[in-house]
Amino acid sequence: MTRMKPLKLAALFALSLLSSAASYGTASAGEVVWWAPNWGEARAKELAKKFMDANPGITIKMEVTVSNGLPERVLTALRSGSAPDVIEVQHGWVNGYAQGDMIIPLDDVIQDKADYVKAATDYVSWNDKLWGIPYRIETHGIIFNKDHFKEAGLDPDKPPKTWDELTAAAKAMTKSGRYGFGITGGGEVGNTIFRSLPFIWMNGGDIISADMKTALVNKAEAVKAVEFYTGFYKQGLAPKSTLENDGLSLRRLFIAGQVSAYQSGQFDLPAILQENSKLNIGAFTIPAPAGKQTAAILGGWSYVIPKAAKNQAEAKKFVQFLNTTENQGFYTDTFPARNSSLKLARFNDPMLKPFAEMLPYGRPVPIHKNWVKIVQAYFDGIQRILLGDQTAQKSMDQAAEEIQALLK
Amino acid sequence: MRPNPGLLFVLPALIVLFMLIAYPVAYTGILSVTNEQGQFTGLQNFADVLRPRVTTQALWNTLWWVGGSIVFQVLLGVATAVLLNQTFPGRAIIRSVALIPWIIPGIVAATTWAWMFHTEFGIINYMLTGVGVLPEPIGWLTGGQTVMPAMIAINVWKLFPFVAIMVLAGLQAIPQELYEAARVDGANYWEEVRHVMLPQIRPVIVAVTLLLVIWGLNAITIIYAITRGGPANRTLITPIQIFRLAFENVEFNQAAALSVMFFGVVMLIVLVYIKALANQPGDNQ
Amino acid sequence: MTAAPATAPSPRGLRRPGLGLPLILVGCAALMFVCLFPFLWMGLSSIKQLQELYTIPPRWWPDHPTLANYYKVLFQSRIPRYFLNSIIISVGSTGLALILAIFAANGFARFRFKGRSFLQACILVGQLLPTAAIIVPLFITLRVLGLVNTYWGLILVYMIITLPLSVWMLTSYFKAIPIELEEAAIIDGASRVGILFRITLPLSLPGIVAVLVYAFITTWNEFVFALCFATDSSVKTLPIGLAEFSTEFNTDWGAVMAASMVMTVPIALVFLVFQKLFVGGLTAGATKG
Repeated sequence: MTRMKPLKLAALFALSLLSSAASYGTASAGEVVWWAPNWGEARAKELAKKFMDANPGITIKMEVTVSNGLPERVLTALRSGSAPDVIEVQHGWVNGYAQGDMIIPLDDVIQDKADYVKAATDYVSWNDKLWGIPYRIETHGIIFNKDHFKEAGLDPDKPPKTWDELTAAAKAMTKSGRYGFGITGGGEVGNTIFRSLPFIWMNGGDIISADMKTALVNKAEAVKAVEFYTGFYKQGLAPKSTLENDGLSLRRLFIAGQVSAYQSGQFDLPAILQENSKLNIGAFTIPAPAGKQTAAILGGWSYVIPKAAKNQAEAKKFVQFLNTTENQGFYTDTFPARNSSLKLARFNDPMLKPFAEMLPYGRPVPIHKNWVKIVQAYFDGIQRILLGDQTAQKSMDQAAEEIQALLK
Repeated sequence: MRPNPGLLFVLPALIVLFMLIAYPVAYTGILSVTNEQGQFTGLQNFADVLRPRVTTQALWNTLWWVGGSIVFQVLLGVATAVLLNQTFPGRAIIRSVALIPWIIPGIVAATTWAWMFHTEFGIINYMLTGVGVLPEPIGWLTGGQTVMPAMIAINVWKLFPFVAIMVLAGLQAIPQELYEAARVDGANYWEEVRHVMLPQIRPVIVAVTLLLVIWGLNAITIIYAITRGGPANRTLITPIQIFRLAFENVEFNQAAALSVMFFGVVMLIVLVYIKALANQPGDNQ
Repeated sequence: MTAAPATAPSPRGLRRPGLGLPLILVGCAALMFVCLFPFLWMGLSSIKQLQELYTIPPRWWPDHPTLANYYKVLFQSRIPRYFLNSIIISVGSTGLALILAIFAANGFARFRFKGRSFLQACILVGQLLPTAAIIVPLFITLRVLGLVNTYWGLILVYMIITLPLSVWMLTSYFKAIPIELEEAAIIDGASRVGILFRITLPLSLPGIVAVLVYAFITTWNEFVFALCFATDSSVKTLPIGLAEFSTEFNTDWGAVMAASMVMTVPIALVFLVFQKLFVGGLTAGATKG
């Protein structure tokens, strides 16, 4: 029967797979499985090789991660008890893992804690213990198109210092289909939190109180900052597409010359120049209300060691190796978390100066188990304002009510 | 007593599925009635997850999403199948082309559509304003009224080929005699469609519709990749809410509770469906 | 059994009525447009340089078309290896699901037994729980079975997704086959399995092909399970390869589009070749034989 042939073939094929499958196993003794993101792969390989040369008994097995779906992948591995030995995660995720008892404290691993930027180590601390080693930190600044500044009669060497000056500059540059200042209102929640929450902080407000008992997002200081942020869109100074734009879309609009200035980190600079080397770009620190200090959210990455890691001792040794002054400075994509690493020549670039100046104003976000839901409620509020559903005050009142329910 | 041969036929598939799914089902059930420390908390998680206003909104959105998607998927899919069942030169190529939306990876399709719908960069606005259909660009994904229809359109585009292929297979299996009988009665083409084709492929359409319901209730890729449920929860559907609870808020217990409720509702639909099907022709022996 | 081809000319008087040619043309044009429009955009994006990808206003044809993205995908990335992995996993899981589904569907379509409706519903259970709920326990199951980071792990996991649908669809196709044919065979003394392979399967070939296409495409494009259960390059699949063109704050869209083409076009071509199988099994000749 010729009809049966494909089925037989399939069965044979299945059998042959079975025999070839057994060759993969989990980590063996002396092997450290390291989950490193794909954007640092080349440098990670170099470091792994160096470490293995110096420690012949230990093998580093690199497994490359991608940013798409990384939180799911890490959480699935941690919760199922089949985890690698070292994982790189964003600072903001560390506390969730710590509270879920999925990673081990690293107080005995960190070398010279005093050398670290305090906001960074605070970010990954919980219950008086340190749960991750921060190796990369960054904050936003404002990236702008110098030519657009000049065309609007502004001096690119004297960028805006206050909110009013920023709004005025944005107004001056908004013409002939161009938008003066781009904000985000779509994409992942974090995009808009990073760009708008610092304005609330600068104005002396917050989303929740320091004791984490009260929602403050509908208080006057916060609402004023929210009005300031959403105002760019409401006054037509930010693109029509604001509600669908995340940081990446903003950058593309900037590259296309549609947006004249926007907030982002230094990681955008090489990407902009790669796509359009003719752009004459500059950066400045984020303006604050007159007489007040600027602020930013501290972003970046940390190493964690899962509780289920098979070779914790070797993993700890390897993490220490990764965080020497040189290696941390070598590996980070943006800035290192160690002050001594920050002195390396690599960070001396004048373009990076405004971003380095922002670093001391970088703050961690509050450590609350419902934080993700809290910012989601806040973000929904921002979107309601942008959509025109509600006024800033009404919308933040509703957000405050939802947040208050999450604080119990 | 010899076991029923029918049972023997279905057993291998059941065993494989049971082996894989038993633990996840039990695990989800247990998670839904315990807290993070593993203590029994009764229905606390269910109460917690039902409280926020957003849960109800997500439920309505889900109904819209599933209902809107299915109507157009089935209509477009059946029409395509009837068209591709005709004999004409180049049919093989058209059939392959019709498959393309379905083959494109979901995340790529979603991002490409988001790009094409973009207010500024989007080719759709560019074309529509170019030929004068629109006076100015429309914010397809930013307008509260347009965003859900846009999502549904993308979903329909992505999955109508599935319906088309399944129905086409059903059309191909229609016995020639039925057509011949209709022709003897002098039926024209549309009468043939109505009286021969549609009744014959009804079981297939029914099965496909059920599967589309289940898929629609589970499909998050398109919405999550484009709007993440926004703006202001306009496109938030329950599976995205579950996804957020589990992976963004690390609240696996509440996610499990919501999953269990979800499971119950869908199971109910399935059972009603099967019962309704059991009294249909084509059910032999 | 020698089935007459479906396109065999019928006697003139009983010529099959059909849609008029103009209607077919219009229908096909509309269909092509709907299906190909975004695809064309992807294809054009894959031959654009970075500078021409995002322009305002958008541009159809690039000034400087380039094949650099394809070069990158084929020679400077892990896509070729992932392509192989994807083929092994998709073919393996499709084949296995199809075999199991054929038997199960035969059972559901042709026999009455106690708890049939219930078992038929049970088949769907795996589909009714959201991915987010089952992924962690599924990982644990795989770990216990020692199947994390193996081809077998993904092949089995994909059963959960493809098997239920395959069983349901095949059941409805099998039901459409006139029972008389099988009864005749039973009288001739054929075994149950013999009937399945000699009569039911050949007659429902289009249905089998449809289910095969479904199972293959679904596994071919699956992302989340592959992401979590295959962390080693030796088993990663194409969708993961696509994600590897994105970094934290950037995406190499030209490369993603080129890789998507590499992922999509071969499948469409394979389907084109297998068109012949997609022709009615139940022709006039079959019922007579």
